Amino acid sequence: MAAREQESWFAVGRSLSRERSRLLMLGSFVLPLCLWALIAYLPVWDSQIRLTLSSTTESDAFPTVYVPGDHMASDRFAAFQEAVRGDNAQLTPGITPAATRRTNKRILRSLAPIAVTQGWLTADKENDYAALYKLWQTIAEGAESAPISAENQRLIIRNWAALRNVSPHYDSNNFLSDPLAQLIPQGQLEVKRPAFLPAPHEVIMRGWEDFRGESELGELHVWKRYGVSLRTIALGFFFVCIVGVPIALLCGTFAFFSRLIEPFVDFFRYMPAPAFGTLLIALFGIYDAPKVGLVFLGTLPQLILMVANTTRMLDPALLDAAQTLGANRRQLITRVVIPGILPNLYNDLRILLGWAWTWLVIAELLGVKAGLTEIIDTQGRRFHFDHVYPIILLIGLTGFLTDQFLAWFRGVLFPYTEEGASASARGAARVLSKVNPLRLRRTFQPKTLPAST
Amino acid sequence: MSMKIKPDSVLITITIAAFTLLGSSCSKKETPTTSTPEPATPELEPTPTPTPPPTSKGEMLTIGYSDWPGWVAWEIGIKKGWFAEEGVQAKFEWMDYVASMEAYGAGKLDAVCMTNGDALVTGATAKPSIGIVINDYSNGNDMLVAKPGIESVTALKGKKVALEEGFVPHLLVLKALEVNGLSDGDITIVNTPTDETPQVLKSDEIAAICAWQPSSGMALKQVPGSKPIYTSADIPGLIYDCLFVTEESLNARREDWVKVTKVWYRIVDYMKNEDNTDDVLAILSARVGVTPDEYEPFLDGTHILSLDEALVAWRNAPGLASVYGSSEISDAFNVKFEVYQDAQDYKAYFDRTLTKEVAKAMK
Repeated sequence: MAAREQESWFAVGRSLSRERSRLLMLGSFVLPLCLWALIAYLPVWDSQIRLTLSSTTESDAFPTVYVPGDHMASDRFAAFQEAVRGDNAQLTPGITPAATRRTNKRILRSLAPIAVTQGWLTADKENDYAALYKLWQTIAEGAESAPISAENQRLIIRNWAALRNVSPHYDSNNFLSDPLAQLIPQGQLEVKRPAFLPAPHEVIMRGWEDFRGESELGELHVWKRYGVSLRTIALGFFFVCIVGVPIALLCGTFAFFSRLIEPFVDFFRYMPAPAFGTLLIALFGIYDAPKVGLVFLGTLPQLILMVANTTRMLDPALLDAAQTLGANRRQLITRVVIPGILPNLYNDLRILLGWAWTWLVIAELLGVKAGLTEIIDTQGRRFHFDHVYPIILLIGLTGFLTDQFLAWFRGVLFPYTEEGASASARGAARVLSKVNPLRLRRTFQPKTLPAST
Repeated sequence: MSMKIKPDSVLITITIAAFTLLGSSCSKKETPTTSTPEPATPELEPTPTPTPPPTSKGEMLTIGYSDWPGWVAWEIGIKKGWFAEEGVQAKFEWMDYVASMEAYGAGKLDAVCMTNGDALVTGATAKPSIGIVINDYSNGNDMLVAKPGIESVTALKGKKVALEEGFVPHLLVLKALEVNGLSDGDITIVNTPTDETPQVLKSDEIAAICAWQPSSGMALKQVPGSKPIYTSADIPGLIYDCLFVTEESLNARREDWVKVTKVWYRIVDYMKNEDNTDDVLAILSARVGVTPDEYEPFLDGTHILSLDEALVAWRNAPGLASVYGSSEISDAFNVKFEVYQDAQDYKAYFDRTLTKEVAKAMK
């Protein structure tokens, strides 16, 4: 061991010790994370205002509705406040008393988000006007005011006086029809990172909420959608193996099939699979089938060419030997070719499973959007990248862990190959051979073929 | 001959084992309500079952709807279970607007929510349809949003405008140009999916975008100081939003479509009642993923037609007060600007008798 520790980290053509390999594997994840954190937390970004309390204004400069959580540049925020003050200076009733009542209710509600963050109101009461009415009374009477500006405190007192004159308790049939003053928008100074670069802690927090189903994703339950996405991949990959592997075996074994099939496949694989999207919808409808179809179509040409090539790489000496021993054509395939390429076929399929994953997001956009893609698509469109990144990470992690497992499992299935098997895989293989009534493992071991009679 | 080794059976066992592993990681939870557990077709070469007309009795009516506020309103009927109450099995599929028209064109939906102009385009290029419900006319939610500094449509001359070519925003922009004495050659159109217009407006090369809510509102937020320089409120009636049904489905299941129409007017009544506004906003805003406060102005930008107003719009008259007159204008525009080649028989695209039947039953 001592000798090993002195070995260089950069020895040419040598593999590293297990400890070092593990360390570097950890590093390969930690380094990009550090880079991300560095860029996100470096003090190079401007600041901006995140709204905590918002209003609407008649001003043409603000033609859309801003809600708490929206961001604004500081000067624009000041202009926004000024616009609302301008509206307050000349309060005009709505077109109808009903419209004015509606606006007044919105003003009542405008206090809710800040009250929820302060714990004065529970989130389910945001639209409960009786509770809001009480909240206004409490604040107007001076009990709580910490994050509320002095200016808004005065407006709240003024509005409350008007509200109380009509009714001291909320009564939907007896609600103020004269216009209330709007609260002046409030906000907090925040680091202004580009929308596509949320800070790591924001992504982690959002991901935690999303995965626990506690966020505003609403109907987009992450785990349910994860299941749908996994099924799409699993089905697509399953069918591609069922169809593709036999074709590839034939191509790899017989020059006849190779020449008949491979040139077209080679031509076909350059056609982008998503180009067949509309066709797939026309054939398979708008639900799961076209999505599975795209994964299938995108993976099939690669699989045929790759596995056919693997088959051709089989040591010809094995075939010669078997033929010398009198094996017929069928025996050559079933007893030499297939057992001979199994370990490499397994590796090919591992790579192709990764390939299948790359089609997922495009596939799930076909027809009715489904799976994790719907979250990525709808949230990305709203620039909520803090919702998007956890999903992307989930996909990446799934692929990575699956591959790690399959790499380990290779050792269980094929412990005799050059790559060998880890100790745990060897152990598992031993257990498997004992408990497995089919004696699966033994059958993989190379055997001498008895001469045919 | 020794039979100790059976590599072929081994191969199969391995494959199955591998997929059982994969499959077991799949969630066993039920699929989301928006998709039917349609078994995936195992072969690539499908026995091309000639799609049976999806019209047999008792089967689900499948209807594609998208994020236009007038169509999001169907969500109220869906959430409250009114379709079942009226005795019709209708399944609404939430899709992107253009994707829903494509799915309709491919024959995979019984009905789709479209504007009257886009129904003509879809009919001329893919599959004709018959409008049976007029949901609303656009009254400001379709917007031509320009960068700060561009105050009018005439200032767009020589500039680039991003919009979805051949569809409703295209029509609105062409109309805006015409009203302001410009021609289509005066601007360069950059073909962009409507839901991507907010990002596109940020780009330096683009002077304006045309989109409907919630995308238009998103664009206004993304580019501070941008403003709508022309909206559908400037020309109400140019864009009617309707429910379009396949001819086969309408013929085979007219009674069911009357029930769907009936549900629509239940929805309209519910929405017009001031006391329900908060509930309405909660349902609708959740569907498109904005807050109720953000959604509230959309209600004004989409003029939902009451039953009486709809009966007026169903009158066959020239001009934008009639869905027929409006479609005549759209058709002329589409031919003039070569969206499609031949003028469409726009009258064949509508059937007002279902609305009239519901009106009679309600009085």
